[in-house]
Amino acid sequence: MAAATAAPMPRAFRVDTGFSLPGELALVLLTVLVLIFLVYPTAWIIVASFKTPATMFSATRFEFTLENYVSLFQTGFARNIFNSLYLCIAAVLISTFVSTIAAYTFSRMRFRGKSFIFGSVLLGQCFPWIILVTPLFILFAKMGMLNNHLSMLFVYTAITIPFSVYLLVGYLEGVPRSLDEAAIIDGCSRFQAIWLIIFPIMLPGIVATATYAFMLCWTEYLFALAFLTKTQLKTMPLALYAFFGEDTSEWGRIMAASALTTAPTLLLFLPLQTRLTSGLAAGSVKQ
Amino acid sequence: MPTARGIRGERPFIVFMLVPAFFFLLMFYVYPTLFNLEVSFTDLSLFGLKQGGEWIGIANYVELVTSDDFHRVVFNTVVWLTVVGVAVRIVLGLGLALLLDSKVLDKYRLKTISRVLLLVPWATPPIVAIVSWRWLLNPQLGDINKLLLGLGIVEQPIAFLSEAAWVWPALITIITWNTLPLVALSFLAALQSLPSELLEAAEIDGAGRWQRLRYVIIPHLKPAIIVMTLMSTFWTFNNFVYVWLTTAGGPGLYTNVMATEVYIKAFIDGRMGYSSAVGVVMATLMVAFGMVYLRFIAQREFKEVF
Repeated sequence: MAAATAAPMPRAFRVDTGFSLPGELALVLLTVLVLIFLVYPTAWIIVASFKTPATMFSATRFEFTLENYVSLFQTGFARNIFNSLYLCIAAVLISTFVSTIAAYTFSRMRFRGKSFIFGSVLLGQCFPWIILVTPLFILFAKMGMLNNHLSMLFVYTAITIPFSVYLLVGYLEGVPRSLDEAAIIDGCSRFQAIWLIIFPIMLPGIVATATYAFMLCWTEYLFALAFLTKTQLKTMPLALYAFFGEDTSEWGRIMAASALTTAPTLLLFLPLQTRLTSGLAAGSVKQ
Repeated sequence: MPTARGIRGERPFIVFMLVPAFFFLLMFYVYPTLFNLEVSFTDLSLFGLKQGGEWIGIANYVELVTSDDFHRVVFNTVVWLTVVGVAVRIVLGLGLALLLDSKVLDKYRLKTISRVLLLVPWATPPIVAIVSWRWLLNPQLGDINKLLLGLGIVEQPIAFLSEAAWVWPALITIITWNTLPLVALSFLAALQSLPSELLEAAEIDGAGRWQRLRYVIIPHLKPAIIVMTLMSTFWTFNNFVYVWLTTAGGPGLYTNVMATEVYIKAFIDGRMGYSSAVGVVMATLMVAFGMVYLRFIAQREFKEVF
């Protein structure tokens, strides 16, 4: 009771945690175990990709090699990386542009049927992609568009639109409406108000949305599996899983390819997400 | 008032801004879904796409409703994948959020590092998470079996991904590992908005740790719990890659779920018509769920827009 009513203590080492010392140590141990559980699988992939085949599965031995990467690129993997990169970047550019202008309209304009239309766009997020695979396969087959990057570009643009609109409307709702109204009263056209006033303010939100969209396409497996069968057209995730065999798997190549798939998402995601969560924290624990 | 005058003049603008998004949404979501409905009433085969299928009425649906295999698939999807999978995630996410919020971590300077490391599984793409866990759970090479053997807990390595008793817990472990950070972070953000006076008042009134959790913390987290439960339900129910790339629905059809059933029927058995019928059942279930989502979450979040 005394602790609860005492004057606020300096946040030094004498923090009252409400636990006895053994209790505190048990919690610290638990935290460390949980963190190992969370980090181990990813860390291991990256470490193993640099290990020789002889030491790859040993927990204690480590011999450094780049052999896994060399043998990965001998399979023509550079082509698969290139396929993934240009498909994802092109799709993200189109989808972010299309979503940004749609999001502005949903956020700022009033028109009949808006609730229904906006609700349908949001519903797209909850839609099972798998049920689109069969009909799209039939349609693409009829049009001769299987094994075609143009159809993949269409698919990747379409799958990222609903959640991009969702995120961007969220950002726009945080930008005061009085800004564009003032610009229009001052004689700007709608387009000028968007381009000169709203776009610069929204830019961080647009970049974040595009990053998420990129990561979604970068790791997409299902549509690529159904629509791409030619090796030279395959995206990275497909090429990666081709190294798994019924009886034996080429673990060296699998590890190198997995590390290459993860690297950009880790590099893009950690800064983005750390900023987002620290922002959340900063907003709620204001002193 | 420019807005009053602007309404008529702005109609072309609204159309212009929405048409591109509409093109993609209609061509990608709406048209294929309707086409899928049509195909589900035919016996269209993968190997006879050119000839097209014969109209067979509701035969596919009759077969589906009466098939024991499909009952198994629905049970797996609803009970194992969705109910058990989501419940595990919510409970562990709550536990993890409470652990990360505890003052003990502050005291031992673990707070920042634990929050950064928490993001690692989330930043790991599912396709890579599955690679890693396929190795970890491997009977000969995997570290989990090595650890269990080394500690003397088991005498024979366990083939986690091919023994019926282990395969569902193993799959749920993989999905939980990959998706836990998002759930935990969302609860953590909600915990940080809980006024500390509330907890102190409860403590003064004599509430123990358990009672504070039950009567103060959980009620405060309720909105976040509802959102995360609904969103996790969608993601898990709709997901194809976890089951497909880990077990491909096996051993046998033991872990087959609706998403993998659609794929297997269409692209392995070649029965496009039957596969479409499974898809229609799946879409119907999700639209029902989607309505709940719109009603309880989206309409509140975007009050101004609706």
